[in-house]
Amino acid sequence: MNLEGEHVFKGPRDEVYGMFRDPEVLASALPGTQSLNMVDSNHYEGTMNVRIGPVSGAFSGKLEIADEVAPEKCTLIVEGKGAPGFAKGVGHVHFSEQEDGTTLLKYSGDVQIGGTLASVGQRMIDSVAKSMIKTAFETLDKALEARLAAKAGQEVEFKAPTEAQFAAGVAKDMAKGWTQIAEVRMVLYVIPMAILLAIIGFILSKCN
Amino acid sequence: MSGKVFGQSVTRNEDPYLLTGKAEFIDDIELPGMLHAAFLRSDYAHARIKSIDVSQALKRPGVVAVYTAADFGDYWRPGPLQVPPPTAIKGSVFHARTLVPIAKDKVRFSGEPLALIIAESRYIAEDAFDDIIVEMEPLDAVVDLEKALEPGAPLVHEDLESNLAAHVVQERGNYEEAAAKADYVIKRRISVDRCAGAAMENRGLLVDWNDRTREMTIWASTQAPIPLRNSIAARLGLFESQVRVITPYIGGGFGPKIMTSQADDVLLPIVAMWLNRPIKWIEDRRENFLATTSERDQLHYAEIAVTKDGIILGVKDMFYHNTGAYDPYGMTVPLNTQTHTVSNYNVPNFKTEVKMVFSNTMVVTPVRGAGRPYGVYVMERLIDYAACELGMDPVEIRRRNLIRSDQYPLPTGIIGQDFVEGVLDSGDYPEELRKAVELIGYEKFIKEEQPRLRAEGKHKGIGVVCFTEGTSVGPYEGARVTVGANGKVNVSTGISTQGQGHFTVYAQIAAEELGVDVRDVNVTTGDTGHFHWGAGTFASRGTGVAGSAIHLAASKVRQKAIKLGSKLLGVPEDQVELCDGKVCVAGDHSRFISLGEMAMKANPTRGTFEQGAEPGLEAVAYFGPPYGSTGAGALAMIVDVDPGSMDVKIEKLAIVHDCGTLVNPMLVEGQILGGLSMGIGNAFYEQLKYDENGQLLTASFMDYLLPQATDMPDEVLLGHVERPSPLNELGMKGVGEAGAIPTPACFAQAVENALADCKLQIAETPLSPSRLFELVKKSTEK
Repeated sequence: MNLEGEHVFKGPRDEVYGMFRDPEVLASALPGTQSLNMVDSNHYEGTMNVRIGPVSGAFSGKLEIADEVAPEKCTLIVEGKGAPGFAKGVGHVHFSEQEDGTTLLKYSGDVQIGGTLASVGQRMIDSVAKSMIKTAFETLDKALEARLAAKAGQEVEFKAPTEAQFAAGVAKDMAKGWTQIAEVRMVLYVIPMAILLAIIGFILSKCN
Repeated sequence: MSGKVFGQSVTRNEDPYLLTGKAEFIDDIELPGMLHAAFLRSDYAHARIKSIDVSQALKRPGVVAVYTAADFGDYWRPGPLQVPPPTAIKGSVFHARTLVPIAKDKVRFSGEPLALIIAESRYIAEDAFDDIIVEMEPLDAVVDLEKALEPGAPLVHEDLESNLAAHVVQERGNYEEAAAKADYVIKRRISVDRCAGAAMENRGLLVDWNDRTREMTIWASTQAPIPLRNSIAARLGLFESQVRVITPYIGGGFGPKIMTSQADDVLLPIVAMWLNRPIKWIEDRRENFLATTSERDQLHYAEIAVTKDGIILGVKDMFYHNTGAYDPYGMTVPLNTQTHTVSNYNVPNFKTEVKMVFSNTMVVTPVRGAGRPYGVYVMERLIDYAACELGMDPVEIRRRNLIRSDQYPLPTGIIGQDFVEGVLDSGDYPEELRKAVELIGYEKFIKEEQPRLRAEGKHKGIGVVCFTEGTSVGPYEGARVTVGANGKVNVSTGISTQGQGHFTVYAQIAAEELGVDVRDVNVTTGDTGHFHWGAGTFASRGTGVAGSAIHLAASKVRQKAIKLGSKLLGVPEDQVELCDGKVCVAGDHSRFISLGEMAMKANPTRGTFEQGAEPGLEAVAYFGPPYGSTGAGALAMIVDVDPGSMDVKIEKLAIVHDCGTLVNPMLVEGQILGGLSMGIGNAFYEQLKYDENGQLLTASFMDYLLPQATDMPDEVLLGHVERPSPLNELGMKGVGEAGAIPTPACFAQAVENALADCKLQIAETPLSPSRLFELVKKSTEK
């Protein structure tokens, strides 16, 4: 699967790049991240929850930052595996300064997936991945705003979204025109409904 | 020929059980103390196994045992080659790399088993997947057939020099000389992609070892109970008589259930012995998609040499056949392709060459059609291209080249799946084509309807193709026919049943011979405790081969009954006859003795016994044909293509078929319609799609599209041509795969005809609306 796209950050390149290399911010922007530990400045290990259509589960993986030319470009090498299968990807990220003081991020990459993720989830993975990236950029936009404000001596609150909020963001984004698909409906309606029923059932059983 | 019940559309003996939910399927069986098995399967298509740590899984409550390849010691060894190598073909090369029961050192396809978990329930067993830590080193995968044979390609089997699994060349006449004389030589690259068997019921196995009697009972959803019993007994060092394989009702076979060397077949029997508990495994749909077997991935470089009058001088076909990661089923599928490429037509010079290739994909073994559909697809496409080139009507060019009805028996010079030269035993191909053309209303459609529809801006097209179906191949089957003391008849045979209607067809054959009610014939198939000789259900051979054995055994019983009846009634043998479950005096049916009474008398318990006689009203017989009988037919269809969405609706379809003598016309019709549905799936719906890393992208019915009842044509017309086969007494030929064989070829022709003559030339199957859109776009850009 090939992924490519771009995003404009409203801030100078040095700041954007600095933020990008801050593991805490990065972890907050990576969907479903449970933990992200720095092994050294270019290697991270962590766990992440992934949900793609009917496929979900925990992934453990490694992230390597290679060929770094700060603050201009770097290559991300990701490898993860878990119950839903495995993913292996190489992504190239370029940061370029623009005349209006903003920074243009361009990315391109190739992701190989396997296991249930591929055999059952592939029909949705493209959309989910794009949606996840979009939501991640929105998170980074807010982080950047907070960073710049802090520098200017102002306080703008940046709270990293929780996994649930992030998932909601992705689901909301995907729901645009997607609610007619059975699997999406399943995730959006049926599962919360089932949980609700389970809770009611639990309460009732306690009452007895 | 047709008799009182033979040749009649008798309703099915099995339906009352199936329709009222009384039929027992494998997952209905629960045994006391039964454990459940689940297989942890590889996500990678090609990888080296570094370590498998199962220690955490063993701690999970409810998990009884976990096994990897290492735990099986010497018991772990590759399975038997289920079909012999093609040594009968001169110069053939074949590298046997049979299935391994569970991956050891390396995995070769995504879905290959890594660990076997035995637990108190399937839920617990599957939960334990998460506890197992597998370290693997991924390797580059081989998927593309041509790239697989390039130097430096990753090797599926590293002990081989390349991924070439087999190489077979067969030729009759001399193609190159013929091509030199031809007015036109047309060459094309034609590809056929994979499809699944997709039976409604997946595979399953239940093993029960009795440690006191030292006997094993196995319930299996197999098409080959006797070979399965034999290989299990051999591996465990038991006598065949210590292992009984029973096939309960089975929800469809379609080919993949012929396998007897899958992980469950090999591992569950010994584990059941070790644990001394019954173990059940039921395959889930994802496992079925990933790791059963499938078919149809071939790439052909084909050419046809024709005169300007449309006479075929020769055909050459060099093709690659994907056998998947192993080749346990030998070369049955590509040999079927070789024997079915030109078989309808007089092609004096024919060269066919196959390179069978190992790849990091699931193993390929027959799926309904089994190699035949691609042979037919290639040939029918070549003829269509030639017709375009010559500006000739597609029906006319076929007419000019079809084998005539006076040419049988016709040796083909090509060796097939039964390792003898194929001989076309009987048939009438021109009559089949004539009838199909008439049923579909070809002339009227071409001359009147299509011009009018085109003027209205509609895109309707017509296609007409011919096909053969090699059926009823050897080696042999057998049967025992017994009259019980209750006066009813028991028939048992070694092949198993997956829903074809054997309980009815076999009952008809026996009832006709013995003069009993068809409902009074009880048929047992696929239970080695009842009958333990035979090969299995494949190659449309159930009726032609096992049916013939039943006929022979019933004839013997008839002779016995007449002999005994004449003795008991005190009249000469030529003056007694069988009537309604009795032996009667001819001309005076009031003097009779019932079959039940005779059955008792045929088994004396005191007194003397005639030397050389056999007790009981019972007989066993075996039947093996010298070569398979060949069914054939012609298919025509009219399609309506929506040029906006490229959706295609088959409006009308006519199929004419010759399966020799019809034992039960209603069941023949059912087989043909079922086959057509599969053929329609193969033409426009079903596709097992692998990515370049060997990941199957269509492992659920969300992505693997099966045609539904609504995708069947509005109007289906059936025609029969009955040309009895001389190879068995009843003149039967098989029909189980007929509908699946010609459909993709006919569909392609009809779609081309609907869109624009000759501009669009389809050279692949399956199609889909999006693929068709791309092909049309490409053809208009030219």
